[in-house]
Amino acid sequence: MTMQGVIDWLTATRLSQAIQTTSWAIPGIQVVHIVCLAILFALALSLSLRIAGRGLAMESLASLAGRFLPAMGICLAVLFVSGALLIIAEPFRTITNPIFYLKMGLLILAVAMTLWLAAVARRPAARPSAVHVAAAALSMLVWAGIIIAGRYIAYV
Amino acid sequence: MSVEFLEWLQGTPLALYVGETWFPLVESLHVIAIAIVAGTIFLVDTRLLGLVSAKLPFTYVSDRLLPWTWGAFAASVLTGTLMFMGNAVSYYVNTPFRVKMLLLLLAGLNMLFFQLVTFRSVAAWDSTRPPAAARAAGLISITLWCGVIGFGRWIGFAS
Repeated sequence: MTMQGVIDWLTATRLSQAIQTTSWAIPGIQVVHIVCLAILFALALSLSLRIAGRGLAMESLASLAGRFLPAMGICLAVLFVSGALLIIAEPFRTITNPIFYLKMGLLILAVAMTLWLAAVARRPAARPSAVHVAAAALSMLVWAGIIIAGRYIAYV
Repeated sequence: MSVEFLEWLQGTPLALYVGETWFPLVESLHVIAIAIVAGTIFLVDTRLLGLVSAKLPFTYVSDRLLPWTWGAFAASVLTGTLMFMGNAVSYYVNTPFRVKMLLLLLAGLNMLFFQLVTFRSVAAWDSTRPPAAARAAGLISITLWCGVIGFGRWIGFAS
């Protein structure tokens, strides 16, 4: 199927039609998406700060990672579902948009970096090196890049 | 606010420049700033509710996270003002924009009341489950900030 074929098929689905014809649905789904990204970003920030020995440093890194990583996973799942609904509603905005693929590339990078840091952080008595601190800082820039790319989808 | 002032504001070189060239980037930075503001506030609020970070003292969680909240709040005010300047007249009469500002004000008042009244007894509940008044402040804060994000997003659909 061609890209246009995919777009036409998605646009014609009952789910897509239902979202398109409900005036508050798209802004509503976007609000859920933004609230979840805010929670995810703050959790990622807290974890990155902790890797650098800052933030909630009273708690061990392994303990904080054990609490925050599953919560980040839940946020990511809700972001995935709400994002998928937005694509189904208006496939023409994303499926042929290069910024959307840039965002997905950055997302894979952010998740890969987080999983790598998670493997380090979850070890009991984990002692992150300067490389881990740099990776944690870089991962925050990647998450920020995902937000910027997400907003630019509307403009490209 | 007078229409003359708003028209002057959106005619300034800075407003024109942001409006024509930098709006998407300023808006993206606004979203990042809001994410830090709301996300860190949610972490503090859920600690007030006794749901998250309950093993850490409340004052420790708030002392460590709120500097990020305030820094990001300053950034969101700056980016928000730049966005407002670009289209001041239509934002000023935009209903979701007005509701958002009202909810921001209420969030501020909720925080002020918590700080001046409920927080005075913090020594008694810093390391345990906070009292009903503190939990209520946390729940009200979460609700108001979700509203700020909701009406904030709605601004773009109503103008």
